[in-house]
Amino acid sequence: MTAAAILEGPVTAGVSIRPLLEIDGVSHVYRSALGTETTALDGVSLSVARGEFVCLLGPSGCGKTTLLNMIAGFVTPSSGRITVDGETVRGPSPSRGVVFQDYSLFPWLTAGQNVAFGPRMAGQGPAARRQTARELLALVGLPDAADRYPAELSGGMKQRVAIARALATDPAVLLMDEPFAALDAMTRAALQRQLLAIHEARSKTVLFVTHNIAEAITLGDRVVVLSPHPGRVAADVTVDLPRPRRRTAPGFNALYAHLADAIGAETTE
Amino acid sequence: MRPRDRDAAYWLVALASPAALVLLWDALSRFGLVDPLLLPPPGAIAAALRDVIVDGYAGVGVLTHMGVSLYRVAAAFLAAVVVGVTIGLMRGVHSKVDAAFLIPFEVVRPIPPLAFISLFILWFGIGEVSKILIIFYSAMLIVALNAQAGVAACPQDKIRAARSLGASRWQAFWRVILPAALPQTMVGLRVALATALSILVAAELLGGDRGLGFVISDASTFFKTNDVFVGIILIGAIGFLADRGLAWLGRRYVHWEGRS
Repeated sequence: MTAAAILEGPVTAGVSIRPLLEIDGVSHVYRSALGTETTALDGVSLSVARGEFVCLLGPSGCGKTTLLNMIAGFVTPSSGRITVDGETVRGPSPSRGVVFQDYSLFPWLTAGQNVAFGPRMAGQGPAARRQTARELLALVGLPDAADRYPAELSGGMKQRVAIARALATDPAVLLMDEPFAALDAMTRAALQRQLLAIHEARSKTVLFVTHNIAEAITLGDRVVVLSPHPGRVAADVTVDLPRPRRRTAPGFNALYAHLADAIGAETTE
Repeated sequence: MRPRDRDAAYWLVALASPAALVLLWDALSRFGLVDPLLLPPPGAIAAALRDVIVDGYAGVGVLTHMGVSLYRVAAAFLAAVVVGVTIGLMRGVHSKVDAAFLIPFEVVRPIPPLAFISLFILWFGIGEVSKILIIFYSAMLIVALNAQAGVAACPQDKIRAARSLGASRWQAFWRVILPAALPQTMVGLRVALATALSILVAAELLGGDRGLGFVISDASTFFKTNDVFVGIILIGAIGFLADRGLAWLGRRYVHWEGRS
């Protein structure tokens, strides 16, 4: 499938009945070298509808990255079940695209070859995957970066290449692990706008991990708050503010205060 | 210091310091302050180098001496690269393979390879086999160690990224772990090559009638100090060119090294 087909693919209005992603009573227990057990996640249940943008919000150590890694198939839950499109997650799959905080681009490949990596693994020919890479790089605002190596790109540009790379397999859900945490405020705001534009243009389901309350409110249709020790769902809040959401908009601050309370007083500003 | 900070004055000092050393050396022997039999003047060494290039040494042409040494080191080094990279990569990606090699490698690694040379001569004779094997052995350990360290330096998230993009375990190894391990592996090759050359000379000192190590050892036996220096210069030239060659290969194929 070319990027054009992906871009113009069927846009389902609204939300279908069955959730795309279902997390059912998932726990994760770490065992240290000394044998002591730590419960990182305790009975987390959550469902995400097709086309929904859900932010997982929580302080460090609340297990939000562990939860994302389990959905991605990198980590196996100690108990519970995760299904995507009705299929139980048993390992990584190109139907679940992942964007990492540190970009994790392949520095020996050009930006274009990085984006074309997924299509190449799927057996797509050189001409088709070059075309896919060109279109996706244009989608993330880097139409001229195809032949440049990651070392020649800024942090914001690298993350846009990483987003294009994750989109190249046309995943059912985009899993993003604090993708903008390492970027400066200006770049972060630009990338947030661009991500929302992509989400709306392609009705892509997104699960977005962040510890930044304002970012969660700016982006999410829903904000799910995880509390630490052990990780549990502390709140599940629907954000019904009109987009684009500015911090000065009515309702923003009230929601901010509510989420800050849910996270716990020690993490509020 | 970064290369772009190197201006004309930098290069002037860089060239002047060895020139001053050669002049001092020349003055020492010219004014009879050192015995020329122990430290011949630079001019005499240059003349001896010319004679060896024209007439050969001990009835054998200089290209034969160099060729024999090059053959020994090249055969051993290439085998060490193939075996060492394979073992190092496999130890890096597979914990059972790592466990299998752990104790044998850790036991022999601190032992200087030359400690084994008498044993190798006892087992394989004074000929080519013992020389090539001792060079292979010492280079292989270094190559394997660095290839394994290269695998360990591959960030887990890069492997996960590849797997979530549809790469099989084998594809993730071939397209991500291997290139990620290349920079450290190239460092290992350069260290191993330098070691291989020093083991070569030591092995050739012990016997035979060919090779640059033989030239050095034979010349010193007969107090032909000029020719000792000729042997040292020729082995140094081989080492320098080989290292430059590997460095060039590194820049050509590991262009992302030190950048991400």
